[in-house]
Amino acid sequence: MSGPLAKLPGWGIAKGMLFTLYRFFSPKVTVQYPEVVQEISPKHRGRLILLYDEAGNLKCETCFQCAMACPIEIIDMGGVDTKNRYHVHWGPAEQYAERREESPLRRSGRPVPDRSFQAWRSIDLGPLDRILVEEDYDPRRMLRILERTQQAYDHLPVAALQHISHATGAWYSEIYGVATSYPHLRFEPGRVAEIGICRCPTCVMLGAGRVRQALEEALATEVGGVSPDGAVRLTGVECGGESQNEPLVALDGQTQPGMTADRARELATSLRAGTARPGAA
Amino acid sequence: MSVLSRPWNRLTVGGKILLPLLALVVLLTVLLMVGWLTGLIPALIGLGATVITDNIDILRFVAAVTAILLFTVPTAFVIIFMEMKFIAFINLRVGPNRTGPWGTLSSVFHGFKVLAKEDFTPTGADTPVFTLAPVVTYLAAVLGLLVIPFAPGLVGLDMNIGLLYFFAVSGLSVVGLMMGGWSSYNKYSLIGGLRAAAQAISYELPLLLAPVGVVMLAGTLSLNQIVINQAGWFWDWYVFQQPLAFLVFFIAATAEGNRTPFDLTEADSEIVAGFATEYSGMRFGFFFFAEYVNVFILSALTVILFLGGWNAPIDPAPILQFLNVTINPALDPGSLGMGLLFVLGLGVPLLILLLALPVWMLKSDWSFPKSLVVAFILFNVIGAGLAGVWLFLSFEVVVGLVWFTIKTFTLAFVFVWMRGTLPRVRIDQLMGWAWKWLVEIALLNIFLTAGAILLLQELAR
Repeated sequence: MSGPLAKLPGWGIAKGMLFTLYRFFSPKVTVQYPEVVQEISPKHRGRLILLYDEAGNLKCETCFQCAMACPIEIIDMGGVDTKNRYHVHWGPAEQYAERREESPLRRSGRPVPDRSFQAWRSIDLGPLDRILVEEDYDPRRMLRILERTQQAYDHLPVAALQHISHATGAWYSEIYGVATSYPHLRFEPGRVAEIGICRCPTCVMLGAGRVRQALEEALATEVGGVSPDGAVRLTGVECGGESQNEPLVALDGQTQPGMTADRARELATSLRAGTARPGAA
Repeated sequence: MSVLSRPWNRLTVGGKILLPLLALVVLLTVLLMVGWLTGLIPALIGLGATVITDNIDILRFVAAVTAILLFTVPTAFVIIFMEMKFIAFINLRVGPNRTGPWGTLSSVFHGFKVLAKEDFTPTGADTPVFTLAPVVTYLAAVLGLLVIPFAPGLVGLDMNIGLLYFFAVSGLSVVGLMMGGWSSYNKYSLIGGLRAAAQAISYELPLLLAPVGVVMLAGTLSLNQIVINQAGWFWDWYVFQQPLAFLVFFIAATAEGNRTPFDLTEADSEIVAGFATEYSGMRFGFFFFAEYVNVFILSALTVILFLGGWNAPIDPAPILQFLNVTINPALDPGSLGMGLLFVLGLGVPLLILLLALPVWMLKSDWSFPKSLVVAFILFNVIGAGLAGVWLFLSFEVVVGLVWFTIKTFTLAFVFVWMRGTLPRVRIDQLMGWAWKWLVEIALLNIFLTAGAILLLQELAR
């Protein structure tokens, strides 16, 4: 608050004390580690950052251990040549056994063409630019930008991530790290199947509770959430009092008759398995 | 009796303990009988009784000091725990929660840890002074507690110069800090000690001057009498007649107790506890024990001087009269006669069973013994609660103690809260604040109070 009150001596102290009192009663963020393991998106790979020492030199020794260990092969030590034609690797040739014949070229310090390289599929950047303008190119709103990008393109295309990196100034690896951290962000186009379950008293009496529990266990999320791999969304629907003998369960708006807890679990598991991708749980 | 016929090295550990005890009991019994028959023991008892009655005041003093010395230990533990837990809450952490329920035993284990550490005296240190410094600091805190009235009639020593005594004794802590800084044979400790002394002495002034207004209003230096003068509703408390004095006193108390934002004497993140740098083990522990006892004492003194001490904020008598209710919690279990035995013998198990039934019925997956155990705990909790209510209604001391504890720990919480909020001030800001503002405001408050008292006297005439 500003105005005449803010000039009062001790006003800042009072404001600070109120703030700490508010924090005193706020929910705590501690996770009791050995007992409780924090839920991390299975595709999370952390923030990929190259470190610099005090003198500003890159600490990377180009050992390629990271590139070889990376399960999703995101680490690619190289770049694009000055004319943006070839994908090149600058590391020691010994790490690229299959391309050993190129090593004299690489040792001479000249760019080596990478025949297996494919340019990123280009996308229409119009919607993304609008989003970026609306979010003020602010890297602190990265999650919001990524969510809106996914809304616009149905997934996060690499071209979009690169464009976001260029526009906001945030490192690509950081953006990628953020995107891996959230279960609801996905890198490949995919349709989210939607399982609806009615929670009205009638359906609960008919066993909706057990079905719901089975679904929540199988999808590892609660009603209103998306399974960690982003394959299935679990929502609540209304049966409108039309359930007679069994609880209402709908898949993408289609009523699924004869749904028991076991069958619901099977359905959810098969939906998740059907869209399973490498790098996703 | 095989224990008697066995050689010593063939005995079990229990036997080795039991056998000397047995011998001791036999010996004492014989001695007692002989002493009683010869008339020696009755004579000794009579002599002891006269000695006690002749020196009852000294004994009472010793008992009070011992009780207060013992009282400081759990108090400091509670405040240390409170600080750890509440600052954690402010930092959005959960704080200590591994040792004991909700981590309540963690400060006890801190105590054990400090006890187990090496008690180290640096080469070249002035050993006697070095050893005595924490004792002096701690004693200054503990002796101050002697005149604190906890509840009506519950005061170590009701001095008529209680306030003066309190300030005189708590001023000793400066000597302790100086001793620690000087004797450590370390120039940084010396600077730390001098710095601590400078702060403590500077803030002693407003700390002394602020309550003068209260003393003028109360007409006494006895803390007990000052509390009695504030009886009635909460607007009879001196904080409403002396708001300036209250503010000055509270700020000065924060500095005097070395609490954030004025904790420059210790400033653990900058000068690693200044005067206490060379201390280790329990001697270091004593310095910090003294600090937490000081938090309690300063909170207690603020409560006594300004917030009505053990007086309740409301006076229940007129309300009860208005509602036409009389509370008579006097119990007479003797009137039940033999019935009392039945109540104790049958009533308790029956009540536990009665409590266990709903628990068992509500928790369908619990076995009956488990519900019985829960019911037993429930019974104890309810019983303790009822006993507490009965004590609260029957004894003035309990009422006073409850209100005093609530108020004091609320203020201690404010100290912790401030530590979780405010950054440390600079040393020049600290000194300037005391000399340029607090002393002047305290003096102004004295003049204002004196003027008001004179004015009221004129008007009353």
